[in-house]
Amino acid sequence: MASYKEPVYWHIRRLVVSHADAQDAAQEAFVRVFRNFQQYNEANSFKAWIFRIATNEALRLLGRQKGDLMLSLDEVTADMLGTKTDEYFDSSDAITMKLQQAILHLPAKQQLAFNLRYYDEMSYEEIAEVAGSTAASMKVSYNIAKEKIIAYMNNND
Amino acid sequence: MIKDMDKQFDFEQVGKRMPYNVPDGFFDQLEQNVMAEVTAGNIATEKPRVKARTVKMTIRILLAAAAAVALFFVVTKYMPSDTTEDCFANVELAYNNLSPEDQEYLMEVYEEDVFMIDEEIEY
Repeated sequence: MASYKEPVYWHIRRLVVSHADAQDAAQEAFVRVFRNFQQYNEANSFKAWIFRIATNEALRLLGRQKGDLMLSLDEVTADMLGTKTDEYFDSSDAITMKLQQAILHLPAKQQLAFNLRYYDEMSYEEIAEVAGSTAASMKVSYNIAKEKIIAYMNNND
Repeated sequence: MIKDMDKQFDFEQVGKRMPYNVPDGFFDQLEQNVMAEVTAGNIATEKPRVKARTVKMTIRILLAAAAAVALFFVVTKYMPSDTTEDCFANVELAYNNLSPEDQEYLMEVYEEDVFMIDEEIEY
């Protein structure tokens, strides 16, 4: 857990934004990791397995807030993300805030592809395991996301 | 168009910085919370088990009791009088009449008997 607690927390935090929500989802994700450890298939990436559980937990939390049990990646819309800020939010660094806003404007699948590639430096194969998709599809999602972010950063001053 | 925009914004300007932070000691607390929840869950779902150590101790006590009863009958059988000197001699005789395994077991019980050791120290 020591080597995954920070990356998993930040991954969830980038999706749900508020610290309190990220804390709840991260804690629940790690409890699920421990309780379902026997289900882990060693043929797959352990990191991807943990991040998949964490992503599902973040989507479950967003779904509960929307009134559903759990959302799929395709159901998460940009306006559901990034709406809550709290005291653990640093608004003094304008460019980092703008980058996060750009990411949060993306559809969830592109957001996931971008975050896992850019921040967590995962391979497309690992990202595909997390998202339940193919490596080729996630590569396309990442490149589209990157282009959209660049456009957002240049056009929204 | 996108290539032009790419020239204007460089991801290296931001790197991996984020506008988010966490309370001091948060990650250690997170780990503790998870371990506490996992442990609590295991205790709640775990069936009560008899510890192997308890079983071993029970067997030893029963064996010791059986050996004491056997020794009592052997001593009673070979004890002709009630004098102290005869008593020690009879105990020794009875001990010699035991099988080597029983002798070894009695010595083991005697050496591990906390109360007998305490008495020796008081003298």
